[in-house]
Amino acid sequence: MLTRDRIGALLLLAFSVFYWLRIDEIRLLAFQADAAFTARTIPEILSMMGVVLSLVLLLRPGSAAKVEAAGFLWGKAALICLLMVAYGLTVRPAGFLLSTSLFLIGGYWILGERRWLVLLGAAVPLVVLFWLLMSQVLGVYVAALPEFMDFGR
Amino acid sequence: MMEGILQGLSTAASPINILMVAVGCFVGTFIGMLPGLGPISAIALMIPITYGFDPATGMILMAGVYYGAIFGGSTSSILINAPGVAGTVATAFDGYPMARQGKAGKALAIAAYSSFSGGTIAAIFLLIAAPSLAIVSKAFQSSDYFALMVLGLTAVAAFAGKGNIVKALLMTVLGLMLSTVGTDQGQGVQRFTFGLPSLYDGISFLLLAMATFALSEALMAILKPKTDADRKREMEAQKNLGSMKLNKEEVKEMVPVIGRSSVLGFFVGVLPGAGATIASFLAYGMEQRLAGPKKGAEFGKGSIRGLAAPETANNAACSGSFVPLLTLGIPGSGTTAIMLGALLSYGIQPGPQLFERNPEVFWSVIISMYIGNVILLILNLPLIPYIARILAVPSQILLPLIVFFSLIGVYFVSFNTFDIHLMVVFAVAAVALRLLDFPMAPMLLGFILGKMMEENLRRALAIYDQSWSFLWERELTLSILVVAALVLFVPMVGPRITAALARRREASGEGG
Repeated sequence: MLTRDRIGALLLLAFSVFYWLRIDEIRLLAFQADAAFTARTIPEILSMMGVVLSLVLLLRPGSAAKVEAAGFLWGKAALICLLMVAYGLTVRPAGFLLSTSLFLIGGYWILGERRWLVLLGAAVPLVVLFWLLMSQVLGVYVAALPEFMDFGR
Repeated sequence: MMEGILQGLSTAASPINILMVAVGCFVGTFIGMLPGLGPISAIALMIPITYGFDPATGMILMAGVYYGAIFGGSTSSILINAPGVAGTVATAFDGYPMARQGKAGKALAIAAYSSFSGGTIAAIFLLIAAPSLAIVSKAFQSSDYFALMVLGLTAVAAFAGKGNIVKALLMTVLGLMLSTVGTDQGQGVQRFTFGLPSLYDGISFLLLAMATFALSEALMAILKPKTDADRKREMEAQKNLGSMKLNKEEVKEMVPVIGRSSVLGFFVGVLPGAGATIASFLAYGMEQRLAGPKKGAEFGKGSIRGLAAPETANNAACSGSFVPLLTLGIPGSGTTAIMLGALLSYGIQPGPQLFERNPEVFWSVIISMYIGNVILLILNLPLIPYIARILAVPSQILLPLIVFFSLIGVYFVSFNTFDIHLMVVFAVAAVALRLLDFPMAPMLLGFILGKMMEENLRRALAIYDQSWSFLWERELTLSILVVAALVLFVPMVGPRITAALARRREASGEGG
């Protein structure tokens, strides 16, 4: 039976095996190869522990509970994740003020806010205030404008 | 010691630091009150702001946030039966029934007085215990530190509860694996960087903490939003708090409970891995038994003792958990793990040297705990009706803001957009693991201790001429490792042995 514990065990087993297979890529100098402790020692121990513990959980799960996937808003969560990725891609080229305002407006919109006044009012003033706090009070340089407009960069 | 206390007092009592404790308590209460967001998220969100401060001020702010978040968690437990943190689950057992009886204000006051007393009494213990332990720990060598870290990690897993030990161990191993990413400190070679320069310095602990706590908690709230009935309940709860005054009899009933729970809470908090959750449940159970049949029957229905006990114990345990952090540099919980990460990023190595090299940090953190407790009582309690209005902010506004502050907190430290994308990956993985009921705190603890463990092991091997014999030849190391093994295996094997003995007794009883 595919319980929650078993699915988790399978995922972590896959991760441990992947980790194990990548240990060979850690380069050792010739004189290090026979040392008692090298850069590979801990990864080797950990990958073995990961595999053994995943197998233990796979064979003897702690509970028989199954995954509860009903009633979850997968679409909204996926859209927020995409929005975060887009924010990462735009925060430099579009500048902090524009990209962050769009990010917040997009976030509010995805989660169901439709009133334009709230969308703009809860995003733009907050972003400007935050930028002022960071750049003027705490002295952290944050490029506010898009790259093509910001000649100071 | 007196000189240190005075030094700590003068540092902690400077206007800027008092302001920081106040801000920390206030912000912590604010964040801790949001269901789902606990002290780890609250501290993680504050770390980027503290980078510009000197270490003592930064730590004082975070200690304030820690207390505030625990208190905020109690508030949401009492008002809406939604504990922000595991440490305040037991608070809801009697706090929420009291709120339903129209005594929410009284329940909040009991929680505040209990937290204050628990925190203050435990801070006195800390004042005595921490320096003594710091002096003893000077005798510790690298091999002992390695063994202590093993003990810390196994204890976290051992306290994870029945059926969860293997899962907690697996998450610890996952955290240790993630800590190996980056340039190896001993030999300078790349490990698991996949040729990406952004990974050469390893994964930042702030990124991991923010992604797996604040961000994944926000994603969980998006995945499973509150129902309209829940929202209505929250709105009503924050409107009608009732009186906050306690009468003489109620105070009389609370005092012995607070005394016992403070001592229990502190000592449970000192144990690595145990922390506020176990302390609060133990105190609740102990008081229920001590209350006798009549008072004991009130537990779960709005008992004053049932509310005071876990509230006192969880705050006392918070102070207790600073003992291993400040004296040995070994965090006993997810929250102190993140504080350790913050200290390391200030360039401060907690441990016995902290006591000597940075006494102002050591003492001012302890002193600021008193100040934090006072501020919680005199500032936060009267402000609770106003702070509770955070519960009225619609989630469609609140959640994108939490996501934004999580992302920007990490981005403003590194200014590397790769970090934002890495956070998304970790947050998605954390959500998947949360849905599968895998705990996150052991992973974070493993991650933070991973590099230190490897470093200490490497050093121990160098001292012992590349021989692993220190594991069994050095008595202190061996003793700690034996304790670690016992801590791990006794909860696994213990119940089976008890069951087998009971079966045998039954069989012999039948035979006889």
